[in-house]
Amino acid sequence: MKKSRVLMILVLTLLLILSACATPTDQPQPQVPSEETTLVVWDQFYRDEESKVIETLNTEFEAAHPGVKIERETKVLADLQMTVKLALGETDGPDVAQVNQGRSDMGALVEAGLLLPLDDYVAQYNWGNVFSSSVASRNSFTPDGSTFGQGSLFGVSPTAEVVGVFFNKGIFADNDWSVPTTFEDFEQLLADIKAADITPIAFGSLDGWNAIHEYSAIQHLLVSLDYINNLTYGVNNVSFDTPENRQAAQILSDWARAGYFSEGFAGIGYDDSNNLFKSGQGAMTITGSWFAPELMTGTDQEFGFFLLPGYSGKSTMAIGGVGVPFAVRKTTRYADLAAEYLDWMISPRAAELWAQAGMVPAMSLPEDSQIDTDNLFGETLLAWETINKNNAVGHYIDWATPTFYDTLVSELQKLIGGITTPADFTAAVEVDYANFLQEKSQ
Amino acid sequence: MITGKRRYPGESNWKGWFYLLPAFLVYLLFTFIPIIETFRASFYDWNGFSETQTFIGLDNYVNLLSDPLFLKAISNNLVFIIFYSIIPILIGLLLSAILTGKPIPGFSFFRTVFFLPQVISMVVVGVIWRWMFNPVSGPINQFFSLIGLDQLRQAWLGSFKYALPAVGLIGSWVQYGFCMVLFLAGMQRIPLEYYEAASLDGANSLKQFLHITVPGLKSEIGVAMITTMIAALRVFDLIYSTTRGGPGETTLVTGFLIYRSAILNNRIGYGAAIATILTIIILALSLLIRHFMTEKPSEAI
Repeated sequence: MKKSRVLMILVLTLLLILSACATPTDQPQPQVPSEETTLVVWDQFYRDEESKVIETLNTEFEAAHPGVKIERETKVLADLQMTVKLALGETDGPDVAQVNQGRSDMGALVEAGLLLPLDDYVAQYNWGNVFSSSVASRNSFTPDGSTFGQGSLFGVSPTAEVVGVFFNKGIFADNDWSVPTTFEDFEQLLADIKAADITPIAFGSLDGWNAIHEYSAIQHLLVSLDYINNLTYGVNNVSFDTPENRQAAQILSDWARAGYFSEGFAGIGYDDSNNLFKSGQGAMTITGSWFAPELMTGTDQEFGFFLLPGYSGKSTMAIGGVGVPFAVRKTTRYADLAAEYLDWMISPRAAELWAQAGMVPAMSLPEDSQIDTDNLFGETLLAWETINKNNAVGHYIDWATPTFYDTLVSELQKLIGGITTPADFTAAVEVDYANFLQEKSQ
Repeated sequence: MITGKRRYPGESNWKGWFYLLPAFLVYLLFTFIPIIETFRASFYDWNGFSETQTFIGLDNYVNLLSDPLFLKAISNNLVFIIFYSIIPILIGLLLSAILTGKPIPGFSFFRTVFFLPQVISMVVVGVIWRWMFNPVSGPINQFFSLIGLDQLRQAWLGSFKYALPAVGLIGSWVQYGFCMVLFLAGMQRIPLEYYEAASLDGANSLKQFLHITVPGLKSEIGVAMITTMIAALRVFDLIYSTTRGGPGETTLVTGFLIYRSAILNNRIGYGAAIATILTIIILALSLLIRHFMTEKPSEAI
């Protein structure tokens, strides 16, 4: 009997301590009337040159808004993704936060009712003129979070990305190779480079995700924009198991078998393959425009950028999109100020700062911009403007289902590892896609 | 009132409990409650942050058993036991036999060097070995080229054939030092007279090792088996920093699948169900090993 009483005392003490710990946060903080408003912003621009852009914009925002203080917290994307979901549910969470696109992140947060729909501000700030509808759909969901690509706008992205081909100008000049204008030329070029005993494409699939870009860049030349939209947004019941997707898989696995990729590519990580390319071991590499700033410093080689050319007579579409968008917490006390901050982040001034940092801005540069575009950055900027103008901005297809990324990585590694055939590949990916459509319709 | 126990005046029998309180609190908050929470979450469909949690009974567990990814991950974990547990114990036994057999110059130097991998953070280990295995610039492939065996060059971590053993061997490299130190300590307990008596009877070193050393280390081997096996079953950081489960699902392990489901795919319930099953397997194996490997008092001489 005595023992159980001791235990009870113990438990009671514990509960007392626990409740003592919990009480202070439950009480409403006494509101100290102050002239200073603090806007808490979480972003993922941790790299030096990116961080400086945000710092500058924040300082200028504070100067333009007396009494407003920005409390900035920077995390790497993976950390941000994990913590922001919980933080946005707190009453003292960040007022503005970068929220990754796609169903698992923005979609899930919209479904949970944690993000503020920005429809009112679209009209107020004329964001329709800043972004094309194709760009806006990437940050849009129906209010219940179920349908991607339509409904309300939940975020604005300051930067843009396009996946294309970086090439080593020195190697091209030494061998009299020129930038191909059709996909047929491109494949001929691959064979020529291989024959000259040079690695045609610096590529490593150990990290997986960049294999999706490698595959999908080819896929984008074979399918229509409607198809890639339907697939990504999960509408109109399309299938992944199509002749075009199989053909793209066939081309990719042929390249792997022909030795067009770096030796031992299956065991090379993304950064390592980039370093190979930067050090001149490889004539080309297929990746996103974000790689450009790194190629402009710390090397004596000269690089160029072109969009993967389309089949002769067919138009070119490229994987592209806008960067991680800024979103507003639904329960923020400063919704208007937060929207003002978002508008600041996508202003012409922001465009200029991003361009200076070598990153493609999602917004147009001001007419009188003094940015030097006669370089690699200019070539990526031109590529983005080209596809944006021609309504040829494709998608990162791994957004299509919550598990699509894992499935694609795994199945692509099998495909280029020679374990599966192109038909196996599209069939296996279709299983994931069909499951998703079925669950979604229930 | 008469109580059965003798007590000094002024002493109460419940005071002692309070000394346990700090440790108990920490255990409760950071171990016990999370385990119970995980177990509870495994019966729900929940994304980890929204307010709606749907009770779905055993659905998560039923789905798991027909999930090829889960079955693949579990079987990979079992393969990891060979690399994390069996190989390190064998190497550990061998090394400790060598190191104690005759006085070797620099004994403590070797003991420290062999133990070093154990104290390096697993993520650092992963990064180092990723570089070692790099097909282009890694020392392993360069070594093969140097000795003229170019045909042995591999895309180690990306190879469907070699990725699992390659990652497994990293585990062996980390664990054998721990086993060795454990066995070296245990061998101090075995009376030297046994060896003297055995050699008088004409037993050679191998026989002495098999019949005196190994049985004498029974409880140490048991401890080594439990710790290394748990490490093999819950391996995550090594996979995360080397292959991320690839190529395909070649090196996918349960720990990584939990991370993928619960954190990346917002399926907390499903991840929790995998974690619960993993916990049960670890508990069962630990109890089993303890049952067979612990020295019973009656066996002690």
